[in-house]
Amino acid sequence: MTEERAEHRAVISGVGQSEIGRQVDRSGLQLTLDAILAAVADAGLTLDDVDGLAMFPGGGVANLPGYANGNLYEVHDALGVTTTWRQGQVEGMSLPFYGAAMAVATGQARHVVVWRTVKEGSAARGAGGRPAYGSTKPAAEGPNAWLLPVGMLSPVVQVAPYAMRYLHDFGATREQLGWIPVTQRAHAALNPDAVYRDPLTIDDYLAARMISTPMCLYDCDVPADGATAIVVSAADTTADLRAPVRIECMAGVVDQRPAWDQWQDFSRVGHATAAAMWARTDLRPADVDVAQLYDGFTIEVVWWLEAMGFCGVGEAAAFVEGGTRIALDGELPLNTWGGQLSGGRLHAAFGHTAEAVRQLRGEAGDRQVAGCEVAAVTNVGVLEAGAALLTRF
Amino acid sequence: MTVPGIPPAVTEETAPFWDAAREGRVVVERCTACGAHGFPPRGICRSCRGREMEWVEVTGPGVVYSYTVNHQRWLPDLEVPYTVALVDLPAHPGVRIAGRLHGEPVIGGEVDFGVEEGPGGFAVPSFRAR
Repeated sequence: MTEERAEHRAVISGVGQSEIGRQVDRSGLQLTLDAILAAVADAGLTLDDVDGLAMFPGGGVANLPGYANGNLYEVHDALGVTTTWRQGQVEGMSLPFYGAAMAVATGQARHVVVWRTVKEGSAARGAGGRPAYGSTKPAAEGPNAWLLPVGMLSPVVQVAPYAMRYLHDFGATREQLGWIPVTQRAHAALNPDAVYRDPLTIDDYLAARMISTPMCLYDCDVPADGATAIVVSAADTTADLRAPVRIECMAGVVDQRPAWDQWQDFSRVGHATAAAMWARTDLRPADVDVAQLYDGFTIEVVWWLEAMGFCGVGEAAAFVEGGTRIALDGELPLNTWGGQLSGGRLHAAFGHTAEAVRQLRGEAGDRQVAGCEVAAVTNVGVLEAGAALLTRF
Repeated sequence: MTVPGIPPAVTEETAPFWDAAREGRVVVERCTACGAHGFPPRGICRSCRGREMEWVEVTGPGVVYSYTVNHQRWLPDLEVPYTVALVDLPAHPGVRIAGRLHGEPVIGGEVDFGVEEGPGGFAVPSFRAR
């Protein structure tokens, strides 16, 4: 592949996180600043090097209590920086580093910090349980107008019918799905920053309370408090960077109706995005050493395993069964930080990206996958979708 | 007894749907140029991008694309469990509507549809297994 790719003009230079937990009693702004300062230091840079800022969400999507935190201008002011590029990523996030990579690739900035801060754990505590989508607003707006009034009050209720249809059409079982959270919990046990680290068994999974059939408690990610920041730098600055990671290829395609009730084909979630990504690289699925696949729900991992070509359509449940293929010493170590299912819902593939960078650098501690040179990162699937391969520099 | 939940925000595009629902009817958009049906209402045809849309009352039966039984009490006073289904309307190609399903849910099963009392005094789509 000799054609130059825009993403090759960008690198991921730093990742940093605040304290992460079910509840962290600090403001969103303080969590955000902790993550940003850590990420900039991790890159080997100082704040004076930073000339771009972006956050997700930028505003206007405060549907879930604790979902949106802070304001880009407030953080900008707090950091005392001068910027030549900013983005409040409401839609079009695709991947955490997508917009920032385009900014540095086109010379609009040299070092961009992008962050995501969640306080959904505290919001759930305040509501006496995981609160309804949109419950911070008096009426359901936009696409939610067709979902919330009929009782589809949470993303899990909205994704569950597609999971039900998947199990129905492909003969997959809940017990097979259970190997995703069980295996990821074993990975979380090796991650001191994960929210849940105690062992989880298939029996625990099958005995868990049902949330919205076929999705039980352990099919859902864990509402958490925490911030993740990522520094994206122009590739010609690598001499200044401590340990950059290459963006081999990335893509984000929305080809199905981006509304939870209107997906045309549940069996093709992520496929257009993955195809566009693979078209930008000579690497193949067998070259991937770790997979950080978006896991808001277990079924999303199923879809990404198939879309990315790690197995065939309808085969992902069998692929994960028993957990050996997706374990740290398996053929495709999956969500090695515990994923959002155990590591916490840091959302929008920010946690997944941070882990991919650490694995590629060999800085993943007890959960390090030996010889990790290629990491896959994916995000969401239908409403938004992004897929990338990151590689060792 | 009011139904717990979150009512819809009504817009220029969606007011006719909610007004019709209060009268017990479910209506969707149809393009006057190409005849394609559309839902949710957008004021534009997703097929030919025509801007002249008219409202038509849907006719049954509906077919269950899929469903879920929700067990989680997301709001105080929410009665659980209940079934929500995504229902395709074969007489109106491309139209799928979400609503509570009463009776035994079966993927591919036929349902009658109408409305039931929803939150905020709105009438919302409702299905009954045949």
